[in-house]
Amino acid sequence: MDVLFNGLVDAIGLLLTGDQDSWSITALTLRVSLTATALALLIGLPLGSVVALARFPGRRLLLAAANTGMGLPPVVVGLFVTVLLWRSGPLGALGLLYTPTAMVIAQAAIATPIVVALVAAALQQVDPDFRVQMRALGATPLRAFLALLGEARLPLLAAAMAAFGAVVSEVGAAQMVGGNLAGQTRVLTTAAVLATSRGEFSLAIAFGIILLLIAFGVNLALTLIQQRQAVPR
Amino acid sequence: MSDRGIGCRDLRVYAGERELLKVPELHVPSGRTLAVLGPNGAGKSTLLRALGLFSDHRVSGEVLLDGRPATPAVMREAVVAVLQRPILRRGTVGANVISGLRFRGVGRREARERARPWIEALGIGHLVDRDARRLSIGEAQRVSITRALAVRPRVLLLDEPFTGLDAATRADLIADLRAALTGQPTATILVTHDRQEALALAEDTALLIDGRIRQHGPTAEVLDHPTDADTARLLGYTNILPPALTGRPRTLVARPEHTHIVVGRVPGPADDQAGPGGDEIRGLVGTLRRTVALGVATRVDVDTAAGPLTCLHPGDLLPADLPPVGGEVRVTVRQTRPLN
Repeated sequence: MDVLFNGLVDAIGLLLTGDQDSWSITALTLRVSLTATALALLIGLPLGSVVALARFPGRRLLLAAANTGMGLPPVVVGLFVTVLLWRSGPLGALGLLYTPTAMVIAQAAIATPIVVALVAAALQQVDPDFRVQMRALGATPLRAFLALLGEARLPLLAAAMAAFGAVVSEVGAAQMVGGNLAGQTRVLTTAAVLATSRGEFSLAIAFGIILLLIAFGVNLALTLIQQRQAVPR
Repeated sequence: MSDRGIGCRDLRVYAGERELLKVPELHVPSGRTLAVLGPNGAGKSTLLRALGLFSDHRVSGEVLLDGRPATPAVMREAVVAVLQRPILRRGTVGANVISGLRFRGVGRREARERARPWIEALGIGHLVDRDARRLSIGEAQRVSITRALAVRPRVLLLDEPFTGLDAATRADLIADLRAALTGQPTATILVTHDRQEALALAEDTALLIDGRIRQHGPTAEVLDHPTDADTARLLGYTNILPPALTGRPRTLVARPEHTHIVVGRVPGPADDQAGPGGDEIRGLVGTLRRTVALGVATRVDVDTAAGPLTCLHPGDLLPADLPPVGGEVRVTVRQTRPLN
């Protein structure tokens, strides 16, 4: 217990003093994970909408694939992206391996199936005649779709939170495609793993606390957006 | 001017290769209401959605607005529909009521002004600030109808909007809707399976069965003159009396409330004579299958050689007046209609 307690006390001390390294690691973590989440939303929102609303052969297969992808092990994604970006791999010429861009690609690949599956579920739980009723009130098909997004905004924002939560907390893909290079691709999770392996528990705990604070901060912001415009009861 | 209103020419709707609906011609003039009466699955909602150009099915033929082929843009402007389930958006009742106007590009303030008289006419003023998702089904349907009327649409499509409402709520809403529509230049189509709604709201009625319009004309006339067994059943003429049973040249139909068994005395030869009115039938012989007390009336089911008959007697029937189950009874039919 002493290790944990002392670690916690030291960690708080570290957080309060806050060295340059910790700040740059935190900033990179936010940059990579938020960019990856935004990318996943950009791809996943239209794809999830199509899966939810259109009728085409293979629709259920795609949905099942997305649902499976929600549990995609980051290590497997990291492996695939590493092979893709490896010097002799298909995209090796781009020289992206061990860069933050590679980490964004890997994390977006982890988050996209989550977004697709949760967006599809969010839109399907709205009354199937919702868009028909909006169009029957004079909305263009686009306005009717936007009204549907507004109607489902609570579960849609939950999809964004789930996507961010998945990428900010994963370590496997970040380690494999980023390489945990100090000052270049080191993020909070990989830094915590390294510190733990070196026995620097207080440092690891400090990184853990920052990670939790970031996750909480981002989710708090999304929750506030989600729950605003409450109607008087 | 007679062209004004909504209609269609050779309208067909398909699900895959199957033809769900075929309406060669239909026209509802501005200022009038047409009830489309049909049993479940007849294609009523399919017709309504095809006319509003928001069908999910493949549609061929032409929808006509004021006699000209309708484009989606023109119809978006002209048409508003109220669906069977009131589908309201998240937010207040007030925001919902103006959403049809907002879709048409009307500013929020002006939309509120234009909606106000309709909010009053439909009696939902006290609900305006309430959460739309916390309304009773009757309140929600009232809001949905107000939302449609606030647009002052040239065409109003109503898809069984009174289904699932309790009797008092339904009666009030029908009266309020009728009052709101009176004098408006709106062509209204009401889809329903309830002939009382047709009678209360529509000048004209069309009977839709299996995707085809079987009859179309003034409501009172259509409701009282079935032409075949299907329309007879739809209009409440559920007792079918074939020539073999009545000795008349044509098949007759009758409502249960006009069909009675002879009770209280032993049937005599006088009961077998035709009554003074040409459409009264006496002395049909059958056996009693069962009697069911329904409170205000007693239902008596009788089996005849030509099929079952349902008799509806006002009030209670005393067991002493009735033969035992399986015993012989005579049936009198006060009012019948001939089928073509």
